[in-house]
Amino acid sequence: MTSGPADNDAPTTVSIAAGPLVGPILRRVVGMLAARADLPLDRLDDAVLVAGLIAARAPAHVLHGTVDVAFEPGPRTLSLRVGPLRPGGGDALVVDAAVPGVGNVIEQLADELRVSPEGEREYLLVRLEYAGAS
Amino acid sequence: MGSSAPQQLRPVEMTERPETPRTDVKLTLPARPENVAVVRHVLGAFAESMRLPDELIEDLRLAVTEACTNVVRHAYPDGDPGAVEISIEPREERVRIVVADSGRGIGTSTDTSGPGLGLPLIAAIADAVDLQSAPDGGSRVAMTFRRRDPGRAA
Repeated sequence: MTSGPADNDAPTTVSIAAGPLVGPILRRVVGMLAARADLPLDRLDDAVLVAGLIAARAPAHVLHGTVDVAFEPGPRTLSLRVGPLRPGGGDALVVDAAVPGVGNVIEQLADELRVSPEGEREYLLVRLEYAGAS
Repeated sequence: MGSSAPQQLRPVEMTERPETPRTDVKLTLPARPENVAVVRHVLGAFAESMRLPDELIEDLRLAVTEACTNVVRHAYPDGDPGAVEISIEPREERVRIVVADSGRGIGTSTDTSGPGLGLPLIAAIADAVDLQSAPDGGSRVAMTFRRRDPGRAA
């Protein structure tokens, strides 16, 4: 395992034009960062699944035609900040991620899920961690 | 940035007028060695989605890896990694990838004994290269690759 990010590191962000590249690229970035954060395989799978759902649903709710995600990897935890989203977009994205017969996958998999409004825009914050951490 | 003097390159002039800027993917990462692998994976996902031919994928990966490695090695002081920014701009006829940093700019590196192979290699692989050093620091390597039909020589 490589060393974790230092506090003074530059941020990790990705901005992808809404379209067919969002899913493949977001899943790949999340998978790499989850592995780097030393998440165990089942949680790494969860993170990639959440990334896939965000990639599928976020384009309908973004403000500027791009899906922007900022990452904050930590020891056995990975946080995603999705947005800017249009007002109401955060909740709508989560609702859209519901799978018939399964329920809301993001809600079930995330350890923390909240919408952060900032003026005329908002962000969806998703955190996944390994329950055995600490 | 890099250990190679810019005059060693044989710049390839752009023969087309610049198109309307449209970046499909912009990735910003701390300029750390392990993040070069993230860039390579992103390029892989991009290339698979665009159904680029294998030969072009390898060229993209090699050239962008070299550009990112230059940033990691030379752009910032040890222990203080700034950002490396990778922009991917696919077009119908070509793919343009820009690797940029806000470090100490292009020049002779103090941590190597001579010119490296990175920039000459990029110049040899890419169909066009544009190398810029910002006045207030930082560098920018723009690489353009012609898209080739699978199974047809370029």
